Amino acid sequence: MKHLEIRGLFSSYGSTRVLRDVSLDADKGEVVSLIGPSGSGKSTLLRVLIGLTPPTAGEVTIAGEKVDYRNRRSVKAVRDRMSIVFQQYNLFQNMTVLRNVTVAPIKIKKRPRAEAEKNAMSLLKRVGMAEKKDAYPDELSGGQQQRVAIARALATNPDILLLDEVTSALDPERVNEVLDTIRALTSEGITMLIASHEMAFVREVSTRIAMMDEGRIVECGSPSRVFDSPTKERTRDFVSKILKH
Amino acid sequence: MDYTFQFSVVFRELPYLLGGALVTLQIAFITFWCGAFIGVFGAVAKVYGGRISRRVASSYVTLFTNTPALVQIYLLYYALPDAGILLGSMTAVLIGLTLNAGAYLTEILRAGVISVRRSEIDAATALGMSLMQIVVNVMLPHIARTIYAPLSNFFIWLVLGSSMAAIFGVEELTGRAINISTANLRTIETFLVVAVIYVVLTVLASASLALVGRVAFRVRARVF
Ligand SMILES: Nc1ncnc2c1ncn2[C@@H]1O[C@H](COP(=O)(O)OP(=O)(O)OP(=O)(O)O)[C@@H](O)[C@H]1O
Ligand SMILES: [Mg+2]
Repeated sequence: MKHLEIRGLFSSYGSTRVLRDVSLDADKGEVVSLIGPSGSGKSTLLRVLIGLTPPTAGEVTIAGEKVDYRNRRSVKAVRDRMSIVFQQYNLFQNMTVLRNVTVAPIKIKKRPRAEAEKNAMSLLKRVGMAEKKDAYPDELSGGQQQRVAIARALATNPDILLLDEVTSALDPERVNEVLDTIRALTSEGITMLIASHEMAFVREVSTRIAMMDEGRIVECGSPSRVFDSPTKERTRDFVSKILKH
Repeated sequence: MDYTFQFSVVFRELPYLLGGALVTLQIAFITFWCGAFIGVFGAVAKVYGGRISRRVASSYVTLFTNTPALVQIYLLYYALPDAGILLGSMTAVLIGLTLNAGAYLTEILRAGVISVRRSEIDAATALGMSLMQIVVNVMLPHIARTIYAPLSNFFIWLVLGSSMAAIFGVEELTGRAINISTANLRTIETFLVVAVIYVVLTVLASASLALVGRVAFRVRARVF
């Protein structure tokens, strides 16, 4: 049984069709990366999966259970096991680093505060942000904020993690500290979907690469297949263009 | 200039003046909270409302922020009786200032509501927070932070603006000062003392507001 299974997914913003018949699956612990030009629908796919943007058709199955995105309970169950980190920093500005990481476990999962804080501190240590636990987001650099956002996403113990271009808003010298953090996570059995423009990184950490264009997955395969011998013209084009940079 | 200041006649009336200061604070408080009540609805209508409620809220704000509060109160006090509605002077002042405050507070609160970043709401939603949890944990703190300073300033404006009530015979601080000075003919001394009382009122108000803001909402406001 696949851990995550997406079948024939469609989504639109108004009359703009953004996802058209997307199918993709991932085994437990797999790292699948979404690449493709800007506007191809990578973010939208991730947003649909976690219930931020409604799908218009298609099926998503997680660990054998079909998700009903119109049903609150079903969406809640998805969010219980799935976390997302966005491109822009969206830490809660009015909360300290520690509070950002503990708010979901305490308010949503009803964990005792002491336990949530202990867990949060070990997560913050892992992303190298423990000593900043009392800082507010606006006192941190972009890279530091993203590392806290990763800790916050992990605090609910997800078994599926969605990462949406988590480094694209960062200064070049900050990118690596965040990539290092993600790299360390890939061996922990968490199924990951990564939308990214960092080709070298994606190639290194992914078990599979899905190339998106105009709302479709045009090609999907192992990193070496997709990067070295793409079968589709569109992929060849995109890969050669982006590797030149 | 051989004017000799004589404050003792004014100091004798200090309890009377301080009583007036209390009325001043009452006017400011009542109009502030009633105005805030209107402002919440106005702001929600302007941000989330449909076309008609947006139009209504906008017209209200435009009308009341582009005419002097004094003119508004005059119209309430002198025009409404012709329409068969008779208002006491205090009531007219309270209603007039409240409507005026409601318009300004609509704008202040609107700025607060739109200061909430979409991305933080997305993040909270994705974490699994309910709408209520999002409002309490994410939206309200943002709104409070954004509106705190303009809200404090507006409260000060109301403390001072309530002096308009004197024109209609309401015995708040300025009204009582007029009463005293017409009796003792020490206009300069009386109004100097009254000015000092106003300063004390506003400084105390802004200091306590800033303190609350700093502790509760992490607003970087100076207490003094
Ligand atoms: N809120 C929105 N309203 C309307 N259209 C949107 C909205 N968000 C995205 N779109 C459109 O949907 C399409 C897919 O956008 P999406 O953000 O999913 O692309 P992406 O692959 O993540 O691009 P990028 O690499 O730039 O992040 C684009 O054409 C975009 O203009
Ligand atoms: Mg995107």
